[in-house]
Amino acid sequence: MNLIAFLNEMHLTPYSAAAYAIAWLVYLGYLGRILVRMKKVAAERAELERTFASGKTATLTRSAS
Amino acid sequence: MESSMKKLPPISILFVVALLGVTSYLALAVAPTERTMGDVQRIFYYHVPSGWVAFLCFFINFVASAVYLWRRSEGSDALAAASAEVGVVFCTVLLITGPLWARPVWGIWWTWDARLTTTLVLWLIYVSYLVLRRFSAGGQTQVLAAAFAIFGFVDVPIVYMSIRWFRTQHPSPVMGGGENSGLDPAMAHVFLFNLAAFTLMGIVFLVLRYKLQMSEQALESTHAQAALKGVA
Repeated sequence: MNLIAFLNEMHLTPYSAAAYAIAWLVYLGYLGRILVRMKKVAAERAELERTFASGKTATLTRSAS
Repeated sequence: MESSMKKLPPISILFVVALLGVTSYLALAVAPTERTMGDVQRIFYYHVPSGWVAFLCFFINFVASAVYLWRRSEGSDALAAASAEVGVVFCTVLLITGPLWARPVWGIWWTWDARLTTTLVLWLIYVSYLVLRRFSAGGQTQVLAAAFAIFGFVDVPIVYMSIRWFRTQHPSPVMGGGENSGLDPAMAHVFLFNLAAFTLMGIVFLVLRYKLQMSEQALESTHAQAALKGVA
């Protein structure tokens, strides 16, 4: 079954299609944002700990969250 | 520990996509068509669960803020910040799906009735809370935010009761709203499944956002230590 046939099975109206599409976008977008920020913070923390451990003067630049 | 953190993103993405896929399929293909509104009523299966999770998150924010004021623990402050943000996301979907349902049914996108207005005020309260946390400088931010959250939560029961206290454009409660309320069993099954699935999705977001908040707080303290070492 292709995507068009599958979508035809759904009882969609333009308004409900928009509502569901926006909800998916908001929820997945938010999840993506959290995961990207987690990755950034972990990388920044590892970098800072490396600098800290090597005994060098730490640079105090931070990524914008 | 490290490997479990690496596995977390793909698992959480798969889990959320699966929840969204199943809930959409049930709402759009399995649930029966409502007699008077037709297929547009299917927005209900995302609209109400989003509102429920938003309320739940704001309640968690209220409790965590009270605990923070009592114990001053970093964990409760992180939970308060995380739950407010997740609550705003779900409340945003509630406020977007509402007008998309209202337009074909009421003929208008928006009206300043009690339920809609108090919900918009609720969203604005928690957006203000997040702005306060983000931009407030000085050592009292967490205390101010916690106090703000406790006063802000007053709007949650007002939103809930608004359709019971006032005659509004917004319909009366579908479940638990008196003699003439209730759902067809086939609709109720889909609705309750979606309610549970959205609650699970809210918990996933909350756990991830809490972990992020704790990591950010740890990074802040590492920065402070580095600054001290750098100065010394």
